[in-house]
Formats: sequence, structure tokens, C-alpha cells
Amino acid sequence: MSEPRPRRAAVTGVGVIAPNGASTETFWKSTKEGICALDRVTRDGCEHLPLRVAGQVRDFDPSAAIEGNFLVQTDRFTHFAMGAADLALDDAQLHRSGTDGAPFSVGVVTAAGSGGGEFGQRELQQLWSKGRRYVGPYQSIAWFYAASTGQISIRRGFKGPCSVVAADEAGGLDALAHAARAVRRGTDVIVAGATEAPIAPYSMVCQLGYEELSTVDDPARAYRPFTSAACGFVPAEGGAMVVVEAEEAARERGARVRAHLAGHAATFTGASRWEESAEGLAQAVRGALAEADCAPEEIDVVFADALGVPQADRAEARAIADALGAHGTRVPVTAPKTGIGRGYCAAPLMDTAAAVLAMEHGLIPPTPNVFDICHDLDLVTGRARAAEVRTALVLSRGLMGSNSALVLRHGATDASP
Amino acid sequence: MTDRITVEELAELMKKCTGVTVTPEELSREETAFETLGVDSLGLLGIVGELENRYGTPMPTDAERSKTPRQFLDLVNSALMAGA
Repeated sequence: MSEPRPRRAAVTGVGVIAPNGASTETFWKSTKEGICALDRVTRDGCEHLPLRVAGQVRDFDPSAAIEGNFLVQTDRFTHFAMGAADLALDDAQLHRSGTDGAPFSVGVVTAAGSGGGEFGQRELQQLWSKGRRYVGPYQSIAWFYAASTGQISIRRGFKGPCSVVAADEAGGLDALAHAARAVRRGTDVIVAGATEAPIAPYSMVCQLGYEELSTVDDPARAYRPFTSAACGFVPAEGGAMVVVEAEEAARERGARVRAHLAGHAATFTGASRWEESAEGLAQAVRGALAEADCAPEEIDVVFADALGVPQADRAEARAIADALGAHGTRVPVTAPKTGIGRGYCAAPLMDTAAAVLAMEHGLIPPTPNVFDICHDLDLVTGRARAAEVRTALVLSRGLMGSNSALVLRHGATDASP
Repeated sequence: MTDRITVEELAELMKKCTGVTVTPEELSREETAFETLGVDSLGLLGIVGELENRYGTPMPTDAERSKTPRQFLDLVNSALMAGA
């Protein structure tokens, strides 16, 4: 008797709310055009801070996308999460009429780096200016980093396994891996992803302590990884949610399989120890390739972490070379995040969304604002590059030392190689 | 401000504290329940807190456990009358 074939984790829906577009379509259009959406920070209470440039989401109207009762009890990062989850579920053709009949078959996994800083600040201001009786009860849930998982689950009536990954920026990829494992273990659908809203006064002050943060005030020059002008990273808000589904369940209901989550691995090498991150990231790549049963030569594009700190960029280039061998200097590498900023946990999710779209369109988006690479990498700059992309590698590192790698396969990839 | 809380004031409080839009007429109906309106226990707690701040008097602890707006108004208004 043959072993039952393992369940494969498919991506059937993608929802993006990003600084360069508040829908998956506009995100992709801006991303492939290499449009830079970085801009001077204009959010109230932030203008005087030494962090001048960020990726801000400008065309998302929460009150048009989310019901009033969910809006008042949640922070902006959860507004993004609920909005992106709706986009992903619509894309996957998973409507309430379908999920209401099987609530335990759908779960939620999110990752978040900082939670609801803006909401928390507002309530704490009430506490200190008026007193404890003026702190609203939703303070107890809104600023917690787990809020988005809970609110998506409540709002859509999902009662399957729910969890939150707290693992630094790379936790965004770990959340996808967690979703894939849940699907392999028997849950039909997991709504997974990460969103962040770090562009608010208190949250911005928290970031000022990061020595990797760029304080350059020219949007075109503030975030230029892999160049000799690298001066740190620019933060971003927004993020992406995806629908991860058992491939067979997806095919049975006639859903389009957009990609497969084929392999993932994570390592830890310590906060801001960028030199050591080379070995950690290389090891994560090897682990992800092994799980995906993928040879280095099969990787058609690398979505780089691209921190924009010379030592970290050097380490990433070395990790790619060490893990992929000679292929590492030939494979196209891209970092579209230079046009939208680094959304902490949401950054690798927006990269994952871009990777899925790159595979579908046969087009590798460019790295805006970056020219004159000073590393031995084939970085895609200037304009998008046409290429057959069957397999993509997404890399992510966190400021606190997490390194993760995710291998994605094209949706049309057959299960038996 | 009157010394009794009207359905109009409750509707306004619900909008502010819980984000739920409801007409005073709907609130007056006996069968209308907080749960079906989408007001959860934390939301009701927020309404109680707001009322206590406005009127400067504690509300009965049972108020936040009310199932319906009618029950809620009866409780808080009898407390306000007693305190007056």
C-alpha cells in the first residue's frame, strides 16, 4: 500500500494594503513599474521627529472597509489586517456563504512586531491627562500584538486554529510557515500574514533607538541597500494577508492555486550582529531548500532582506553566495521594498505577495532608487526584468536577530517532480 | 443635560463607545438586545464608564451585564434618580 500523499499548502488568495497601493492590483502595478512611494512623514505629531522619510499608506479608508464596531476597538495595524484579509479571501473566492458552514476549517495566523502603538498612546494620554476613568476598555485588547488574529477570527466567524507569531521581522515568514504546517496537519484554510502601523508618534520614538534606521530626509536617497551610499532602512506601514489552503481542498472547490509554500527554515544569530547573520541566513536558506526538495539552481529569483546597512548587506550577499553556490552570483535578486520601505513583520509578506505576482506575470520587479551595486549580486534595478519564474526565495532578517527563508513554487507546479 | 438618560443619549453613546449605529426607535423596542446590535461586554463597559464620567456618579454593577437597552436604561436611570 502506498503512503498517502502529504497535503501541500497552496496560496489561493493574496491581499495587499501597501504604501504604493491599497489593493493587490495597484501594489503590483506600482511594484513592477518601480515607483518610489517613500515620502516625507506627514502624520500628526511626527513631523518634528528625526525620522523624516517613511512608506505611508495614503489611499486606504478604514471606515469604508471596516464596520464601525470593529473600527472603534482596533488600532490601525488591525484595520490593515482586516482589510487585507478581506482582499485575500475575496481573491480566493472564500465568502461567508461558504465558510459559515464550516467555521472550524478556517484558522488565522498573524505576526506583528509592535502592535497597536497609536491606540495605546491615545489611551495612555487619557490616563495621564484626565485620569484612569477615561481609559476605554478596548485598551485591554487593541494595542496587543495578537489583536489582528483575534479580530479577523471574530469578524469573519473563523473558529479553526488561531495563533500569533512573535519572532521579530522574520516572524512574517514564520507565520506563513506556521500556516503551511497547520494545513498539512489537517486544517483546510489558514488566513495568514502580517500588517504593521509604526508611523505614529509613540511608535516612531520607539524606533529612534535603532541604529539601523535611516534619518536621511531625501526620499530618493534614504534607503539604498547594496550600494556604497547605504545609510540604513526606512520604515513602512501596511502589509499583506494570504489565504493558505490545502491544495486538494482548493482544487476540489475550483479555486485557483496561485503558488505553493514549499519550504521554510528559521535561525537566530543575535540582535544587530549582522556579521553573524550571514551564517544564520545561509543556514535558513539551506533548510528551506531542503524542505522544498529544491536544488539551488532551481531558484529563479531572490527577494532580498536588503537592510541597507553596509555590514548587513555584505552579510546577505555572502549568505546568498554560501547557500546557493555559484548560482548565487547569477540568480536575479530584487528588493522592491526600497520603493515602499520596510514594514517590519509585514515586509516579508509584501515580498511574498510580490513573489507570487512575479511568478504569475513572468516579471521580476526592480529595486527603486538603487544603482551602482557594490556587491557580487545580479540585483534587478531600473526596470522590471522579464523571466520565467517557477521558484522564488524570500529572505527576511529582524533587527533582533531572527533570520528566515521561504521557498515559493509556481501555482502550476506538479506535486510529483 | 437632563437627569434621566434618554434613548437618544444612549444611541449617541453607543456610536461613540462601540461604533454601533442604531436609531433611538430601535433602542426603545423591548426585544432589541445588545448582542444582536453587535455591542459586546467591553463595549457596554465603555458606555458605563462614559456615563459615570458624565454624571459624576457610580452606576450599578449590574448595568454592564444588561442584555437589552431597555433593561440598561431602567437600571441606570433608577440609580440616577436615587442619587438625585
